[in-house]
Amino acid sequence: MTCALEVRNIVKSFGPVRAVDGLSFSVARGTIFGLLGPNGAGKSTTLKILTTLSRPTSGTASVLGFDVVKRPLDVRRRIVSVIQETAVDLLLSVRDNLLTFARFHQIDTRTAQLRAAQVMECFRFTAEAERKVQDLSGGFRRRVQVAKAFMVETPVLFLDEFSTGMDPLLKREVMALLRNEARRGRTIVLTTQILSEAEELCQDILIIDRGRQAARGDLSALKLLAKEVYEVSMTFDHMPERIESELRTVPTLRTRFENNTLEVAFKAPEGQVLEVVTALAKNRRVLRLEVNGASLEDVFLELTQGEVKS
Amino acid sequence: MTAINAMVYREAKIRATNLVFIFWDVFYPLGYMLVFGVGVNATLGSRLVGEGVDYNTFFLASVLGMASFGIASNTSWSFFLDRDNGIFFEMLTYPLSRSAYMLGKVLFTLLVSLVQTIITVALAAALFDIHVRWDRMPLLFLFMMVGTAGWFFLYSIFALSTRRNDIFNTVTSILYFVLLFASNLFYPLEPLPKWFRAAARVNPITWQIDCLRWATIGIGNAQLVVLESIAFLVFAVAGFLYAARCLQRQQ
Repeated sequence: MTCALEVRNIVKSFGPVRAVDGLSFSVARGTIFGLLGPNGAGKSTTLKILTTLSRPTSGTASVLGFDVVKRPLDVRRRIVSVIQETAVDLLLSVRDNLLTFARFHQIDTRTAQLRAAQVMECFRFTAEAERKVQDLSGGFRRRVQVAKAFMVETPVLFLDEFSTGMDPLLKREVMALLRNEARRGRTIVLTTQILSEAEELCQDILIIDRGRQAARGDLSALKLLAKEVYEVSMTFDHMPERIESELRTVPTLRTRFENNTLEVAFKAPEGQVLEVVTALAKNRRVLRLEVNGASLEDVFLELTQGEVKS
Repeated sequence: MTAINAMVYREAKIRATNLVFIFWDVFYPLGYMLVFGVGVNATLGSRLVGEGVDYNTFFLASVLGMASFGIASNTSWSFFLDRDNGIFFEMLTYPLSRSAYMLGKVLFTLLVSLVQTIITVALAAALFDIHVRWDRMPLLFLFMMVGTAGWFFLYSIFALSTRRNDIFNTVTSILYFVLLFASNLFYPLEPLPKWFRAAARVNPITWQIDCLRWATIGIGNAQLVVLESIAFLVFAVAGFLYAARCLQRQQ
C-alpha cells in the first residue's frame, strides 16, 4: 500500500533563498502528522507544494501516489487544505460557504445540506447559519474555514495553524474530531506553533529548521533527543532573592517568572537540577513543586535554536 | 464540467448577495442609454450620424459594447475579492484546474452579458422604436460573448499581475477612458481627424462596436465585420492564454 505522502529531496528556492532545502519524508495513511518548526522554517512552503499551490524547484512529492506536479488535479480531488490565512467567502452566509465548498467536491445537494447541518451544530454556529460571514468575528471566520474540511471525506487533510482564533473549548472539540477522523483512516497533516497541540494530537512529528529536517519521530522518540532536560515549576510564598544568580549555576533552556511562580527548563544532569531546586527551596517556603521530563517545546527549542540558552 | 458549474454557481451566489454588483452589471449601461443617449438624440437627432439614423439607434450597439466592457471589468475585480477574502489561494487547492477556475469566472460573466443584451435590446426596441435586426440576434449574442470574454481576459491579466486594488482600479479607469473615447463608440469615425481614425481602427472596442452595430441595426460593411470579428477572436484567445499563464504563476 502506498504512503499517504511521499516527499523526496524537495527544494524550493526563492531567488538565492532556499525555503525548503532537500527535505525527504513519508507519512503513513491514517496518521496525524505534525510539521513543526520556527517561523520561516519552510513548513508552509512544504504544505504549499503538497497541496499543489506551489511547484518545487527540484525533487518530487506525491499524495496517495499522485505526483503533485504531474497530476495536480488527482491530488486536489483527494485533499482538503485549510491554509494559514483566513479564507472564506465573506459575502456568503455560513451555510452557503459550506454548501458551495461541497459543490466543488461533487457532493449532491441533499447530502451537502445534511452534512452542513451536522457540521454547523458541531462547530456551534447553527444560530449564525444564515448570517453573512463578513458580519462575524475573525474567530468565527476561521471556524467556518476549518468547518469546511469536515464537509467532505477526502482521504488527506492539510491544516496550517488550524486553531488560530479558536476558543479553548472549541479547540478541544476540533482536536477530538481530528482524532476521530484519523481513526477512520483519514491522514491529517498539520503545522502548528502551539506545541502542546502537536504533543496531544500527532503520532508522527517532523521538526524542520531552515528548510531541513531537524528531527523526526513519534513523541517519545523525540523526547529522547532532549535527554537531561527537566521542566521545573515552583510556587513560593515570596519569590526568593538572588534567584537569578542561583539559576545561572545550571544551563537553562527557558525561564519564566509569573507572580510567585518560577517555570524553568534545565538542561543538566538530574543531580545538578535537584541541587538547584534544593537551594531555591532553602530561601523561601515552597507551596508547590513539579518536576517533569522534557516536553516537545524543549525538544523543539533545543533542535531549532542550535545551542542551549543559559 | 462539474468544477466549472460549481465555479459559476459560486460567482452567481456572490453577485446575487449584493445589490451594488447588480447595479453596476445591469443598470449602469442602461443609464447611459436612457440619459446620455436620449439627451444627445434630442439635441442632434440624426445630424451626428447621417443616413437618417438617429442617435438612439446608433448608440444601441455602444451601450452593449459598454456593458460588455463594464461587466468584464466588474467581474474581473472578483480576483481581488477572492484575494481579499483570503480564499483565492485556498481555491487553487480545490478539485478544479486553474483553467477551470478562470473559465468558471468567464462563463458567469458571459451569462450576465447575455442577460444584459436581452434587457438592453428589448428596452431599446420598446422605448425608442429602434428597428432591431432580430434575424441577427444569434450573431449579436455571439459578438457579445466573444467581446465580453476578450475584455474579461484582458482585465484578468491586470488583476492577476498586480496585488494592489488601487493600481488595478487606476489601470481599468485609464483603459475605460482611452479605449471607449478613442473608438467609434460615441461618434462615427468619418468626420474625425486622420490620426484619430487610425488610432480607433486598431482599438478592439471599434472592432466589437462595428460587429455589434451590424448585428443590431444592420449598419456597416459585412466584409469588414468578418475581418474585425476574426481580429477580436484572436485578441480574446491571446488574452485567455496570457491570463491563464498569469494564473498558473500564482503561488
